[in-house]
Amino acid sequence: MIKESVIAELQKIVGKENVKTEKETLKAYSYDGTTSWEHEPDVVVFPTTTKEISEIMKLANKEKIPVTPRGGGTNVSGGSIPIMGGIILCTTKMNKILKIDKENLTATVEPGVVLQDLTIRLGKEGLFFPPDPQSFLGATMGGIIAENAGGPACVKYGVTKQYILGVEVVLPTGEIVNLGGRTLKNVVGYDLLHIFISSEGTLGVITKAELKLNPLPQARKTIMGVYDDVAKAGENVFRILENGVIPGKIELLDNWVINRIEEMMPMGLPKDADAVLLFEVDGIPEAVEKETQKIVEIAKKYGATDVRVAPDQAEADKYWTARKAGFAAVFGKAKTVFAEDVTVPRGQIPALINKCKELAKKYNVEIVVLGHAGDGNLHPAILTDINNKEHYDRAVKAMDEIIEGAVDLGGVLSGEHGIGLEKQRFLKRQLEPAVIDMMKKIKALFDPNNIMNPGKIWE
Amino acid sequence: MEDLKELKKIEQYADQCMKCGFCSFFCPVYQEEKEETAVARGKNYLTKLVLKGEQEFTPKMGEIIGKCLLCKRCVAMCPAKTQIDRVVVGARAQMVRNKGLPFIKNFAFRKVMANRKAFGRYVKLASKFQWLMPKTEGKVRHLPDFLKALGQGRNIPEIAKVFLRDKVKRVNKPQNGKEPKMRVGYFMGCATDFIYPELGEKVIDFLTKRGIEVIVPEEQSCCGAAIYFSGDFETGRMLAEQNIKAFQDVDYIVTACGTCSSTLKDYQKYLPDNEDQKKRYEAFEKKIKDMTEFVIDVLKIPPEEFKLKKEFEGKTATWHDPCHLIRYQNIKDQPRAILKALKGLKYVEMPNADLCCGMGGSFSVYHYDITKKIADKKMDGIKATGADIVVTACPGCMINLIDNTLRSKMPQKVYHLLELVE
Repeated sequence: MIKESVIAELQKIVGKENVKTEKETLKAYSYDGTTSWEHEPDVVVFPTTTKEISEIMKLANKEKIPVTPRGGGTNVSGGSIPIMGGIILCTTKMNKILKIDKENLTATVEPGVVLQDLTIRLGKEGLFFPPDPQSFLGATMGGIIAENAGGPACVKYGVTKQYILGVEVVLPTGEIVNLGGRTLKNVVGYDLLHIFISSEGTLGVITKAELKLNPLPQARKTIMGVYDDVAKAGENVFRILENGVIPGKIELLDNWVINRIEEMMPMGLPKDADAVLLFEVDGIPEAVEKETQKIVEIAKKYGATDVRVAPDQAEADKYWTARKAGFAAVFGKAKTVFAEDVTVPRGQIPALINKCKELAKKYNVEIVVLGHAGDGNLHPAILTDINNKEHYDRAVKAMDEIIEGAVDLGGVLSGEHGIGLEKQRFLKRQLEPAVIDMMKKIKALFDPNNIMNPGKIWE
Repeated sequence: MEDLKELKKIEQYADQCMKCGFCSFFCPVYQEEKEETAVARGKNYLTKLVLKGEQEFTPKMGEIIGKCLLCKRCVAMCPAKTQIDRVVVGARAQMVRNKGLPFIKNFAFRKVMANRKAFGRYVKLASKFQWLMPKTEGKVRHLPDFLKALGQGRNIPEIAKVFLRDKVKRVNKPQNGKEPKMRVGYFMGCATDFIYPELGEKVIDFLTKRGIEVIVPEEQSCCGAAIYFSGDFETGRMLAEQNIKAFQDVDYIVTACGTCSSTLKDYQKYLPDNEDQKKRYEAFEKKIKDMTEFVIDVLKIPPEEFKLKKEFEGKTATWHDPCHLIRYQNIKDQPRAILKALKGLKYVEMPNADLCCGMGGSFSVYHYDITKKIADKKMDGIKATGADIVVTACPGCMINLIDNTLRSKMPQKVYHLLELVE
């Protein structure tokens, strides 16, 4: 339990209306987007300035109270769950886009800005922030940076870390520091900026960020490739890339997902296809035309049974709606879903998919595959029910083996979700003890009292 | 163990939520509050805890469940297809079941609104004191500060001198004197009855002109929206029975109030307590048509037959989607088809046409500060169109849009779609 005097101090810092201790509110901050983890904080605080956050951290550091930063709570690794209780530092009320600099193609944002709000604002200026985690409707910039989020656009554009020029951070001790800067190149000293990106909120609170932007592509085209064997789809991905076309996105839907989408909203997807790939090419119109032709040509050459080019944006939107509906289809079919985000080198996609199929048989569980085939980041989803212990246990075993399998294929256990609580127990499987030890020492350097999002990443 | 009858009914819907949090982007209340208890995911989670016996219906819980516009924007966009409206309404019903209604609502719902004649008398009585409220503009009055507890300084429309029910005949024959091609019951709704009687006369005129016989049963009551959406299912069912009984032997039942049409259709969704009720409410639903869908989908009136009233010639209009039309009934294209068919009127789409106006029935009474903030966004959308008039098809929205256009000192006037049509 947190002391009354601490609550009073917090109220002094952020105002009474921004400190919540009602039981109901605490319960509403006990979860994120994961299914297996819950823990209530002792208090929820909504700061509105960097200075307030600094004061909160000084207080927490003095009193040795755990602080878990949280934005939209869309996390799927358990990273924003206050597993040790203490303070939830919620940044949702710091949601201003401070500056859009068209000349330098940068934007300055507060941590509580929701990605979709940013996308809409930037769109009006003919700009965009390329990283596109699929939680963009709720995810906030602070969390996106702290998790180094990625999405379908990674194939061509990369992930969050490639688009952050600098951050203002409040350290667990309350100090306010600036890491990185506003320039595209910057080699001044150790690259501490990138230690913060993907630190999962364990090193400090990001209070401001300088983003690198791109001009919006003038044209887009969507192509759907149909395959009678998922392995051929996997091969198509690297054949297209090796032939010099880098699509903006390459997404994969397997047979199960195709059929569920067709049940939910019939849109003429090929129901007997083993897999479908969706490509999007973007850029200047002439290049988009050429790249489209090239994809059609290569896909056919390497075994696609059918290749369709969406004639207009409406048709293209239909295909992408299908891709988005993929997750809904999965979630609608089971009480509990493990949505994995293992990532393998692109060439190993067919091997990983086959591994999933094999495990589905071995443990007699439904494993569905969809994901960002273009960057090797797949989301095998295991359908189960947390209330059915016997089934759930089998699903857990299958998940463990998928992760083992991905690592054996030279991949990583998480491509974009982060470790948080969800994947802690696999960390040792991936990282050498000396590496984990280094991480712990870095953590201790920033956070001597271990108050910043404690209990995450390693066990 | 407390009886959780109403919650049990919605348990399957509450279980759908996967906690992805996407609802936060679409929730007008969360967009203002930015706190998890405001959003569907939070409300759903807490309701599930009640079902598990880990949370009680505390006053705070009542406040959280109460703070929802039931605009269904989150429902429309939910990837897991969670019907959060059912969860919220079910939780409210359970609360009423366990704790009863607060005094004010008990009086308003059961003693006033449930009895149409009494309701009329109270409204009439209130209208005698209208002179206390200074006139803002035309037929709109401004609630002065001493009535803040009720309306918090808002502009409310003037109560009609003669109510619709006192003006219209029970049976209205087709104007061409021929045998009617269809018999239609007209459900007027409270706002049309007491505030916009001309709208009701317009509906009857429009339909009888087209060879339809219009029946206006005197026994019809309030649709029950404010009542059953607040969780008073008992009174809601009473009204359902009364309205079903009032409308026998008609081919269709039409109304020009988006909230009424959806509320009447949805008796079968929220209220049934047994199979018999379910069956009868479902049969009733099949006859209900909102006027916008009735003229387009049933009467199939061709575009050239819609004539613009003279006073609107040369004007630019924009359309506001009432939540109860677009999301409760999937009525989106029909009103636009009518507006676009009106020669002499320029139609401009509003950027946030489907955003709730912020009214949410009694929500705006309890959370007028949030209502105003949500309405501000709606006003920005209206301003962006450069339209002269804002058109909608729900008197509830009209009341709130009028209040907020006036409050924002905007020149746009608000009309019901049918007011534009000859």
